Amino acid sequence: MLKKYYIPRLIQYFTVVFIGLTLVFVIPRLLPSNPVESQLSRMMAQGQYLDPAAIEQIRETLQQLYGLEGGMFQQYISYFKRLFTGDLGPSFTQFPTPVMTLIKQSLPWTVGLLLVSLTISWLIGTILGGIRVSFPHSRLARLIELVIMGVRPIPYYIVALVLLILFAFLVPVFPMAGGYSMGVKIGFNARFILSLLRHAFLPVLSMVIIEIGGWFLQMRNVASNIIEEDYVVYAEASGLPKAKIVFMYIMRNAIIPQITGFALNLGFIFGGALITEIVFAYPGMGYLLYSAILAGDYNLIMGINVFSIIGVSTAMLVVDLVYPLLDPRVRYS
Amino acid sequence: MRSKSVLLLLVVGFCLVFSSVLLAAEPPRHETLIADILTGKVGNPGNFNFWATWVGNDKGLQQLVIDPLWMADYVTGEMINVLAKENPIYSEDFTTMTVKLREGIYWNDGVPFTADDVVYTVELSMATPGFGYHTQFNQYVEKVYKTDDYTVIFELKQPNSRFHYQFLDRWGACRILPKHVFEQVEDPLSFQFNPPVGTGPYKLVDYDLGGYWFLYELREDWERTATGMLYGKPAPKYVKFMYVGDASKKAMAMINHELDMADLTPESLEVVLSRNEYASGYYKDFPWAELLHPCVTGAAFNTLVYPFDNPEVRWALNLALDAKNLALTAYNGAVAFAPAYIPALLPYYELYYERMLPYLEEYTLEIDGEEYKIFNSNLPFEMAEEARRRGYDVPETEEEIRIMFGYGWWKHSPELAEKLLLKNGFTRGRDGKWLLPDGTPWKIEIVCLTAATNPSFKWAFAIANQWSAFGIDCEAIPTEVVESLTETGDYQVVGGQPAAEPFGAGIDLYRGLNVFHSQYWKPIGEKLVGHQSRWVNEEIDYFIDQMEQTDYSDPKNIELAIEVAKRLIDGQPGVSLASFPGFMGLDNYYWTNYPTGDNPYAVPWYHWPNFKFVLPFLQPTGRH
Repeated sequence: MLKKYYIPRLIQYFTVVFIGLTLVFVIPRLLPSNPVESQLSRMMAQGQYLDPAAIEQIRETLQQLYGLEGGMFQQYISYFKRLFTGDLGPSFTQFPTPVMTLIKQSLPWTVGLLLVSLTISWLIGTILGGIRVSFPHSRLARLIELVIMGVRPIPYYIVALVLLILFAFLVPVFPMAGGYSMGVKIGFNARFILSLLRHAFLPVLSMVIIEIGGWFLQMRNVASNIIEEDYVVYAEASGLPKAKIVFMYIMRNAIIPQITGFALNLGFIFGGALITEIVFAYPGMGYLLYSAILAGDYNLIMGINVFSIIGVSTAMLVVDLVYPLLDPRVRYS
Repeated sequence: MRSKSVLLLLVVGFCLVFSSVLLAAEPPRHETLIADILTGKVGNPGNFNFWATWVGNDKGLQQLVIDPLWMADYVTGEMINVLAKENPIYSEDFTTMTVKLREGIYWNDGVPFTADDVVYTVELSMATPGFGYHTQFNQYVEKVYKTDDYTVIFELKQPNSRFHYQFLDRWGACRILPKHVFEQVEDPLSFQFNPPVGTGPYKLVDYDLGGYWFLYELREDWERTATGMLYGKPAPKYVKFMYVGDASKKAMAMINHELDMADLTPESLEVVLSRNEYASGYYKDFPWAELLHPCVTGAAFNTLVYPFDNPEVRWALNLALDAKNLALTAYNGAVAFAPAYIPALLPYYELYYERMLPYLEEYTLEIDGEEYKIFNSNLPFEMAEEARRRGYDVPETEEEIRIMFGYGWWKHSPELAEKLLLKNGFTRGRDGKWLLPDGTPWKIEIVCLTAATNPSFKWAFAIANQWSAFGIDCEAIPTEVVESLTETGDYQVVGGQPAAEPFGAGIDLYRGLNVFHSQYWKPIGEKLVGHQSRWVNEEIDYFIDQMEQTDYSDPKNIELAIEVAKRLIDGQPGVSLASFPGFMGLDNYYWTNYPTGDNPYAVPWYHWPNFKFVLPFLQPTGRH
């Protein structure tokens, strides 16, 4: 088992991570935007008086400060050297602030937002999908399906905007922007937690509303095949309690693809939720990545993607490693 | 029983989460002025060290906390002495600049402001690669020292009649940092400067770690600041800078009185005005927008690319444009025309456009031996008439109409444009579309910024429509990489600024015009230093050299700048259309007496350093 199953997966994991990290180094350098020129134009756009005679010299200084001198290979080697020491270098747009500092500032918001919305939507979607299949003649189950399928095709942006207009503008019970209220001390205290919940409520709700549909559909489709399996028919014929059949026979088997999906989505958390952040003016990694791409901030793009690559790959690895525990067929094959 | 308890707990929890009252720790709204963060969410909110120029300029620091030596006011045209007591004093050969400082000013931690701070600011900048003015100071400054606590001498490496422009704050300058804070710091570049210590009338109270808001409070000793000395006590006890999102969200916040001052789009301003009875634009009625701004917008030709290297082709393209139609399409007519590469601005009207009007009215173009007068000085009145026809209330007097719409623009003369093109070998194909002299279809691409609210975008699309209607296959292309394309000359036409921005204060236009000097010219492929049109002219070099040898306040500069403007008009390196129209929304629910078109006492924008000078004039309405 160890030789045949676990070691190949570990080798695959490290190979994927290495290739991913290399691509993350190369791709930003192919962008037409350039961090030095972006910085110069930002300086001028913000009104700084730059004598044309000084511009050329500033360009050289920035090139040196950003560590963009030297060939690609040289930069590639120092990139990996830095990675091994946990140093992602300085951000160019927020120079000399380290990339790690910026990621640390944004990551907790994104993790909180996406983890909560993902977990809630996964739980609700999975349970409702299972129930819909298990009780095919229930009116309530059909109504739930109708509502979920009706909401699912609506573009996320519209759902978010409608929630915002309804609950932050017309009936302003929730704030229009930000992650917490003014004057609240960040920490493990009741005021901060309540403020956090209040600010996160609409962004989370918008994501849950949209995401439920996907989980519901996947669960319904898998479960509808399982319900026709012999062992389910046999269990029903044996007179087992309905709840036991639903949870132990149908949902337990149908949930395996859901768990894979859940784990993969966990990995994607590091990319952030750009539209949510923009619509609700909510802090997070999405906007950080977006602005880094626009400004050609190589280091920041690389930093965020390093987290993403390692996150997704590790999530896949964990799923692979856990599969044998969940599915005996993998264990015995 | 158990389910009731759970229900009760849920209700209480929900109420807690919903209740903004329980969570509120915000300052009283009637004592707080709330302005929008114009450039959006702040990327690194905890860093206030903006001498390292990577830090956002727009989070309230330069508007409320930090002071420059001098400040430009483009509404009054004055250079305001802020930390400096008077204008700079240059030696006759412009190799020495003396700065006299204002006495009695204190940093907000109680330490007096002196010449040591100015000297240290310059010396630290020179010693720190990465500081915003590191390069410039090393380039110009031989030595900086004080002769007493309130006098600073700059000895310059070479004559420079405008060295003080490094300290003249328009929306960016080398502001003065506190020596007693920075000298304790090991690495001034990575120093966060948090909390910031400034000489301005406000101090930082709190900020959002997510970068969406910053709160400032009026200093108790506000009278020991330049603002207090010059204009008195600022009215709001608190000022909050907040970013709520795009223009539609700003409009929602302003309708709910959650935002007092914001940069809006024409469309969102219209919504605010219709939904908030206390709201106004810069003007109470048409054109609502602030039209007189110190930068010219339109487009620039890449004059090194065929056929834009031919001045007659550039003239033909300008004459093919219908300025009135452009203004109505892009900005519903809210435009002050600026045909001479000089912004339409109250002080510049009198100094430049009034003087140039006879020249413009007599300006002729000779085509095939015939002379044509091509300037339409009646355009502002045609615009006023059109606005009246659309039901807007427009002033009646010539002076007011000129203030609103400028002094005119080039006539819409497609027939002259056609003559110019035919003269240069262009032909029309069977389908009526223009062909290049070699018989291939003429296709023009105008690159522009992607923000649909930006003049770069708006003019690019409006111009592309008109050139298409004239028979040229023309397309506007929004792209995120405009800077990269223009820096190496990889474009034909770019929507944006056909000339650089002057200070808007004083008579001097050197800052806007010097980029056209040939010493900064670069061929295509090499990175841009001068103007993106890459257009140069020997006579312009001469006049700019003359300006450099003339004191910045000498009236001779006016004549020199007019001569440069005349060469720019001859050469037409761009489409010099209009000043930047800014659609500002103002909510008068809690505060009133903002600077407006009817009461233009100062720069109205809250993202400019002048904002601190507006605050003493605001009046609370008393509403809670």
